[in-house]
Amino acid sequence: MTVFTEPQVDPARRTRRSLTLGIGLLLVGLHLAVALLTLIWTPYDPAGMAGGRLEAPSWTHWAGTDRLGRDLFTQIMIGSRIALIVGAGAVAIAAAIGVTLGVLAAFATRYLDDALTATFDILIAFPTLLLAMLVVAATGNASLLSAILALGIAISAIVARLARILAKRVLAMDYITAARTAGSSWPSIVFRHLLPNIWPTLSVNFALQFGLAVIAEASLSYLGLGAPPPNASWGRLLQEAQGTVYTAPFGAVAPGIALVSLVIGMNLLADGLRDVGDPTRRRTR
Amino acid sequence: MASIILFVLLRLLPGDPANALVSVGADPEQIAAARRQVGSDLPLAQQFLQFLSSLARFDLGTSFVSRTPVLEEILARLAVTVPLTLLSFALAVLIAVPLGILAAVKAERWYGATISVVSQLGIAIPVFWVGILLVTLFAVNLRLFPSGGFPPQGWSAPFEALRALILPVVTIAIVMSASLLRYVRSATQDVLGSDYLRTARALGSGFSEALVRHGIRNGAVPVVSIIGIELATTLLGAVVVERVFTLPGLGSMLLLAIEQRDYPNIQGVLFISTLLVLLIGFFADLAQRWIDPRLRERAGSVQQ
Amino acid sequence: MTRMRTRNGLHLLAVSVTMVLVGFAQAEAQEGAADRSAVIRIGSLYEPQNLDNTAGAGQGINEAFNGNVYEGLFQLEDSGEVVPKLALDYETSDDGLTYTFTLQPDVTFHSGDPLTSADVKYSIERVVSENSKSSRKSSLSTIAGVDTPDDRTVVIRLSERSISLPYNLTYVWIVNDEATDLTSSEDGTGPYKLDAWRRGSSISLSPFEGYWGDAPANGGVTFNYFTEATALNNALLTGAVDIITSVQSPDSLAQFQDNPAFVVKEGQSTTKEVLAYNDRVEPFNNVKVRKAIARAIDRERLLSSIWGDYGTLIGSFVPPTDPWYVDLTNVDPYDPESAKQLLAEAGYPDGFTFTLETPNYDPHPIVAQFVQSELAKVGITANINIITANEWYTKIYQAHDFQATLQEHVNHRDIVFYGNPDFYWGYNNPEVVELIASSEASATEAEQVEKLKEANRIIAEDAASGWLYLYPQIVVSSAGVSGYPVNGLNSQFFAYDITKSAG
Repeated sequence: MTVFTEPQVDPARRTRRSLTLGIGLLLVGLHLAVALLTLIWTPYDPAGMAGGRLEAPSWTHWAGTDRLGRDLFTQIMIGSRIALIVGAGAVAIAAAIGVTLGVLAAFATRYLDDALTATFDILIAFPTLLLAMLVVAATGNASLLSAILALGIAISAIVARLARILAKRVLAMDYITAARTAGSSWPSIVFRHLLPNIWPTLSVNFALQFGLAVIAEASLSYLGLGAPPPNASWGRLLQEAQGTVYTAPFGAVAPGIALVSLVIGMNLLADGLRDVGDPTRRRTR
Repeated sequence: MASIILFVLLRLLPGDPANALVSVGADPEQIAAARRQVGSDLPLAQQFLQFLSSLARFDLGTSFVSRTPVLEEILARLAVTVPLTLLSFALAVLIAVPLGILAAVKAERWYGATISVVSQLGIAIPVFWVGILLVTLFAVNLRLFPSGGFPPQGWSAPFEALRALILPVVTIAIVMSASLLRYVRSATQDVLGSDYLRTARALGSGFSEALVRHGIRNGAVPVVSIIGIELATTLLGAVVVERVFTLPGLGSMLLLAIEQRDYPNIQGVLFISTLLVLLIGFFADLAQRWIDPRLRERAGSVQQ
Repeated sequence: MTRMRTRNGLHLLAVSVTMVLVGFAQAEAQEGAADRSAVIRIGSLYEPQNLDNTAGAGQGINEAFNGNVYEGLFQLEDSGEVVPKLALDYETSDDGLTYTFTLQPDVTFHSGDPLTSADVKYSIERVVSENSKSSRKSSLSTIAGVDTPDDRTVVIRLSERSISLPYNLTYVWIVNDEATDLTSSEDGTGPYKLDAWRRGSSISLSPFEGYWGDAPANGGVTFNYFTEATALNNALLTGAVDIITSVQSPDSLAQFQDNPAFVVKEGQSTTKEVLAYNDRVEPFNNVKVRKAIARAIDRERLLSSIWGDYGTLIGSFVPPTDPWYVDLTNVDPYDPESAKQLLAEAGYPDGFTFTLETPNYDPHPIVAQFVQSELAKVGITANINIITANEWYTKIYQAHDFQATLQEHVNHRDIVFYGNPDFYWGYNNPEVVELIASSEASATEAEQVEKLKEANRIIAEDAASGWLYLYPQIVVSSAGVSGYPVNGLNSQFFAYDITKSAG
């Protein structure tokens, strides 16, 4: 039973919501633009050892240089590209696996459903990072692909559980029963009614998982299990900087700021989308 | 059941645990000797039977690499990980609960909104970066705290041990509290808009009184389950923080064991940590039922 | 009145001056006076995996135990000299196949048992046994048998001449043949005994009362283990340790160099950063290709990127502390133009592509990136593949399944690896194999040195591997701590002469 009330959405709140969405779009858009730019141009050749060793930030090197004399700002820009690829890839895999399994569980018989739910819960309880480590160990070498795969699998459990709950809720609704009686087949119901209905909530969740995936990839790279050089992951840049933190502290700051800005951007975007999508909903997490 | 899957999965990993024992200059004979010591030359079925029989006796075996009993090593590591986790959690709760409630109640005021914004920042920061920044500030520049390591005498030198844990605890607490804060805030918001609160106020209770007497009990339930999950993930998930501060914790043990294919260690750590996770979940459940008597009747329903 | 005041004033002045002078003298005496009961806290990155150097314990056990807890018939001093230790005296037969050792008298193990020839026989057989994982096992393979005619005499019979026998014996710990669990406890003859091993944290040693030689100059030693260099440096800065055995990054040295509270000493290590090709496969089986790669990499720039002002350039696998060192840095100097030319001559005018297997720990990933960048300039594409140490052993060391890899080689006197065609890099030059094999059968040390120098030169001309640089050995201590070794040969760190002043 849905209650239709028109809550008083005061202008201040509305401005704040659009501000959230706006800032989110701005930050994410910035990173996206930078990432695309790096495909055709970077301030310096990323492998080029143009500067001196561990120079401080200056007009020629906005973020300074690393031990080999490579421009850090260029590395950070490429880091945007890597982060976006990993985030998108991991979420895509998680979505594909998670939604499929979740919807399946919603349709399944009680035993299968219980089994699937239990699997999801076990995977969720297992720390994402460690799951990713095991997957990386299993695939042999660390590479961009193995990182994406590992994170995708780790996140898919969360997506699956959410998809299952949402799907169950929708399946219980009247219009689904109506469609069935009218003779629609299950597949068409899934594609025409179920998925479009659960998609908005799911996509907000995807946006949040994106941020988590980016942080997780940075952690993996920090531990040495992420994409190998010369892929400039922010996590790897931070790990390299940690050794020289006494003489060159800036190296530990800039990649972190870039990372935080992208994740905040994504989270704000998610929040904004959620508010825009359904203004009657109270802000619940 | 889980252990069987674990055993099989681990053996499927490429790489030989005997490698940790050899060095450059080893000839094939020595490599074979290493395999013998480690037991990886035995047929798989035999290895499995050995594993099951020792598990039944609650003997987690001995490490392939260091030849010491796995359980002993795990207990030594838990002496670091458990205090780290509990202290971080305590600090995080101390920060998150009051601030979260404040953020919800005073959402329209500037400080309520600021808290929300800051918490937004907190969940976007990778925990190891916080660690690196804290180390740079406090340990390298100000030299107030050690930048890493845990005193060799362990807890028999309690002051040193605590000092070594301060920065790691603060690091984890910052990130954990940001995430907890958002849950507390959202739970409080739910409470604020709820009927029973309105009723209580209508019946004459003051705002804070109503909040405390009714709100906390109701709002606490979902928060407790979140706390449980966070605690459970921090046990092993603290591995990154352990790397920043070089603490000999459980997560690092697992990471090293995976790298060295030290199967007994891997199995042991995962076994113990699963046990702990189940324990935490059990206690979280108990706590929830204690707070909310209504849950005591309903058997194991999960509030979504 | 004035006169009294003057006299009092002078009196006062005299007393104060005396006091100041006495104070100075005391302070100086205090600074010089070593506190013989002080426990020396040593910080290191190399925790041993277990306590037995025949059971794969790693280099950390040499650091903690060699010379401190266990002794051998001979000892490799920090200078590179081999001196007799538990062997009081020895004789060789004319054919060089029989060595007769007389043991030091009145030596006891930490458990109280006396040292007899039976213990020496047991110790040697432990290292050459089937199950031994000692890295020096093969160098002792010439031992045909060990006899013990009486308690203080040991006779070693060889199957062929082995001029390096005394040197090789420095790796053999003399262990009590009654000892049981050597992976987690010890029973040696050294000046220290093991107090406790807190895994993941530290090893503490205390002086052994019944030591046969001179008592240590300190009251004990604790090796504190860290997994991260910054943490190690900070421990020294905050006074949590007194010495760091080997600093791995030059950036941290800035804090110690201009600081009167610390002393930085640079010695010469035996750790070489090697770009090892699989000399069996194309294109690395072509000597011109290897020489081209050597000329394409600016090693001086690489060394200063990683080590700043420290470290040494090497032109071959032999570091300056080996007796057969020759300065071969000019064999294939940095010359990208010449490199391109050589590549064209070798049949690769447009370069080629290969995979560089890179261990995941410092400094290899960054060295790999440097190499990748340099080789790109001459048209060679290097793809970096990050692997763990475990994988390195399986894939590269055992299976030889690689094209090129990076590795740090820490062993002392390890030119012999190039005389083994089955070694992982597969270098097979019959002349070198012959020289190295026959050098061992030399009658004199001078002959051995001559042969190995010749082999060294050939290996360098062949550019069998890329020898990128030699790690420096940097030891940093608090001021007031002295008496520690600086070269750290074979990862050893003798602690018995270390003194810490009370002031």
